[in-house]
Amino acid sequence: MARVIVITSGKGGVGKTTSCASIGTALAMQGHRTVLIDFDVGLRNLDLVMGCERRVVYDLINVISGEANLKQALIKDKRIDGLYMLPASQTRDKDALTLEGVCEVIEQLKQDFDYIVCDSPAGIERGAVMAMYYADEAIVVTNPEVSSVRDSDRIIGLLDSKTRRAEQGEAIRAQLLVTRYDPERVEHADMMSVQDIEEILAIPLVGVIPESSAVLKASNQGVPVVHDSGSDAGQAYSDMVARYLGDDKPMRFVELERKGLFSRMFGGRR
Amino acid sequence: MQLKNSQQNRVLQFKGGNLTVTTLELMSDDCGQIEQELRQQTQRSPAFFQQTPVVLACERLNVPSLALELVVDLCRRYGLQPIAVRCSQEAIRKSALALGLGWFPPQNERHLQEVSRKQRELMPEPSKVVRNTVRSGQQVYARGADLVIIGSVNEGAEVIADGNILVWGSLRGRAIAGARGNQQAQVICQQLRAELVSIAGVFQVFEGFRFPREKNQPIVIRLQDERLLIS
Repeated sequence: MARVIVITSGKGGVGKTTSCASIGTALAMQGHRTVLIDFDVGLRNLDLVMGCERRVVYDLINVISGEANLKQALIKDKRIDGLYMLPASQTRDKDALTLEGVCEVIEQLKQDFDYIVCDSPAGIERGAVMAMYYADEAIVVTNPEVSSVRDSDRIIGLLDSKTRRAEQGEAIRAQLLVTRYDPERVEHADMMSVQDIEEILAIPLVGVIPESSAVLKASNQGVPVVHDSGSDAGQAYSDMVARYLGDDKPMRFVELERKGLFSRMFGGRR
Repeated sequence: MQLKNSQQNRVLQFKGGNLTVTTLELMSDDCGQIEQELRQQTQRSPAFFQQTPVVLACERLNVPSLALELVVDLCRRYGLQPIAVRCSQEAIRKSALALGLGWFPPQNERHLQEVSRKQRELMPEPSKVVRNTVRSGQQVYARGADLVIIGSVNEGAEVIADGNILVWGSLRGRAIAGARGNQQAQVICQQLRAELVSIAGVFQVFEGFRFPREKNQPIVIRLQDERLLIS
């Protein structure tokens, strides 16, 4: 049975698209047939992060309006087998999305894939509601700062009321992914701790991704950071997906590593 | 075939049912007073006295008999149509039947009904219980009742009750108790980090406020001398 996962946050710039690319890639690495759908119509980004922007011919809106079929619009990932993406339209806006159209696309994809990962746009308007409506599960991406936490709280409220599952009286499984986490700044009380965020949002934590220069580098190169297995962020995404699939992995990169004298003298900042 | 015929031939049918009928409760047997009262009532609401059928109720008359004919006459003159009499007095019952009016036994349960209605009014609405976190942007209102939240009220959320508000978690959003002016209403929570608390219209925001440290007992906010008292 195919699972539909929405990656959402409310606030923009917290790492939804980055997370979507890495989560999808990691799921496919584990052998699950996975498709990523970019719902950010008008502000198409996922194709850039996936490094397939030069191969976009048709998009989600073309499929919904019947100008292209799914096969034509799906872009196959060059690195991982069984990973596809459906890009958003850059020239249209979110009004072009309809619940019926999205439903048809998702039902068709369910025939072929194990996981359908929806990259939600920021905000709580039409685009975000479209992305979450048919989801079975949600990964709520949150930065350790108050505005991001409050927006995530709002989104969780919408997940509990504005999705098909909620309308049918079923619960949607929402899990928390904290990104851009810096234990050192938490130590100095500049940043909210994972415990604080968990307490406010009251949903289970699935992963913590540390603040890392590898993320920006990966995005700019169009290679999901999970491919960079040497980087802390890459490892954190692998861990997170393993945890999501049921593995019991301990949380890493949450505690501040005590630096030795030498690295304090010569290491500088990472 | 026969059945159908018998149905076609039917001329009448008895049916039970409840009709709402106005009762005219007589508290005096003085026809002069009754007429005076009726005249005043007619002037006040003439629309009501348009051949309105009424039942004359005599339970509150402490007399064994009544000049029923005169009373009925008065009623008709002022646009009422007496259709029956309700009484326990045998003499009145007999004169009613003689006048071609119906008779109803006195309502003994009436007193009981009144008591139960009063009790119902006293009985409060059951508390509204929310079994999850109230999140930013959500609003919960307990109309005419207490509100119990088993979870937290997050920043940007609003909980409103006409009665008390009890939060079995952290109160980080807004709480408005006694929304219809009940000054006895209280706000009770495990941890107080509220944006705003209001009781019966007296409100407080908590900018730069030093919230009390967590104790093992809940925090109670109530109204005293037009100010919110946190303890």
